[in-house]
Amino acid sequence: MIDPYYLQQLAIGLSLGMTYALMAIGFTLIFGVLNVVNFAHGEVYTIGAFAGLVAITAFAPPFLAVLFLALAAGAAAGFSLERIAFRPFRRFTDEASLKSRAMRESTLLSSLAVSIVVREALEIVFGSEMQPLPFEYMINAPVQAGPVTLATGDLIIFGVAAAMLAGLQYMLKRTRIGLSIRAVSNNPLGARYVGINTDRTIVMTFVVGSTMGAAAGILVGLYYGAIFPAMGFIPGVKAFVAMVMGGLSSIPGAVISALILGVSESMATTFLASGWADMVAYGFLILTLVFFPSGLFGAGRERV
Amino acid sequence: MSLLSIRDLCVAMGPQEILRGVSLDVPDGSIVAVLGSNGVGKTTLMRTISGIYRGRQGSISFAGQPILNLPAHRIVALGLCQAPEGRQIFSNMSVRENLVLGAGDAGPGELDRIYTLFPVLAERLRQNAGSLSGGEQQMLCIARALMRRPRLLLLDEPSLGLAPKLVALIFDLVRRIRAEGVSILIVEQNARAALRIADHAAVMEDGRIVLAGKAAELRDDPRIAEAYLGGHVHG
Ligand SMILES: Nc1ncnc2c1ncn2[C@@H]1O[C@H](COP(=O)(O)OP(=O)(O)OP(=O)(O)O)[C@@H](O)[C@H]1O
Ligand SMILES: [Mg+2]
Repeated sequence: MIDPYYLQQLAIGLSLGMTYALMAIGFTLIFGVLNVVNFAHGEVYTIGAFAGLVAITAFAPPFLAVLFLALAAGAAAGFSLERIAFRPFRRFTDEASLKSRAMRESTLLSSLAVSIVVREALEIVFGSEMQPLPFEYMINAPVQAGPVTLATGDLIIFGVAAAMLAGLQYMLKRTRIGLSIRAVSNNPLGARYVGINTDRTIVMTFVVGSTMGAAAGILVGLYYGAIFPAMGFIPGVKAFVAMVMGGLSSIPGAVISALILGVSESMATTFLASGWADMVAYGFLILTLVFFPSGLFGAGRERV
Repeated sequence: MSLLSIRDLCVAMGPQEILRGVSLDVPDGSIVAVLGSNGVGKTTLMRTISGIYRGRQGSISFAGQPILNLPAHRIVALGLCQAPEGRQIFSNMSVRENLVLGAGDAGPGELDRIYTLFPVLAERLRQNAGSLSGGEQQMLCIARALMRRPRLLLLDEPSLGLAPKLVALIFDLVRRIRAEGVSILIVEQNARAALRIADHAAVMEDGRIVLAGKAAELRDDPRIAEAYLGGHVHG
């Protein structure tokens, strides 16, 4: 008989892992179409949480409406981010620029710049502390599942994330825009030859990825009651690690890695002080980079 | 009437001039072949027509509409599709997904016609495009371009790297596609085969068209025979 405590940690780890997965998908999708890391992705998560918070304090809507507003804010953030930090650098389409590292590094820096500006702006408006949240919006009421005690948040996070992953899968396999996103990831030049509007596809990729990141932000915010301007940094790092572990541009790889990461962290709190749990992710990152440079699941899988 | 009409087209990559005043016409319903050795600018011409590269000077009109420097997706939407050099298929996606992507707004309605032209593809719809043989990939590339029901099909070296039997098959397909009313602009190093199916042909050298005319006449032109047909006039 397994100690219920471990089952509980497993369940908590899976829901934590799901939030990393939602974040990691944004990184992965964007890396797929553009081959660059979006450093502002953590701020999209923060924006999702703050959008929910503002809605709650302004007119106290039902939970689903809060979630929906957070997703809409994420979509808008993704759209603007692409316009501000990424598109301007795609003017340079000659061979030399496309191959140059300087071009890629400049989008990297422009997304980093956006992330700093967003965080500072939130600090000016809201202050850098944790924001007070009305109790009734928190999703941490205990739920008894057999011998295991969970929180409503664990179930909600798992459910919402699973639904979003299923929706994403459907979109990527069955819809025009999803096929276009995969086509641009697979062969950007080929995509232009078949008449795909690559600019529009890239914007849509940001919108989809950022919507999922914002969902993670509001869910985690309401679960832990911890909404503050710098909240996106640590999850951003974790999701980045999951993307690298998954092989940079594989969605299934990133999701599985994110779950492994979440469960490992949650189990590790049994043996380590919780402040050290973050070391787990860095440990995984180093092990991956040293022993599996093309990801835990090997290279050559489908991007996106 | 010319379906495609190119006038004094100049294309440069940085300081390097690659096309230096190319003029070329594709009459409606015809097959036009562009011949020339490596690096003379054939692919650059094809890419500029499709809106992948930008032209510096000159004009291109398609069905009476200026298309030079229009975004590539707008040109495709007008009914000008290309099976490009290097195939550029989506190797991680299924054959069917490649075809559906080729169809764009037109929807997958063309699939049945494609299956009759390319029966090998019909058997491999669920297979990853990257796992097809070279010949099958070339057929997929052409089929993908046909999914939109284009009025003009550009083919950039469709026979490259294929065994002689497959080359014959591809050229036969090109003839059948034209018989269905699609005009064709084809770039080929296999000059003999290209001149056999083409109505008109042009020879490129160093970014210019140096010789153009009816394919039947070029076939007998000693300069062509010398440079591109291995010295024999008739093949
Ligand atoms: N994107 C580019 N950047 C810089 N130079 C280019 C680019 N594309 C083509 N070139 C140069 O333009 C010239 C013509 O190339 P192009 O590919 O058009 O030749 P081609 O006639 O198609 O040759 P091949 O028969 O080998 O396919 C070459 O010297 C090539 O190096
Ligand atoms: Mg070429």
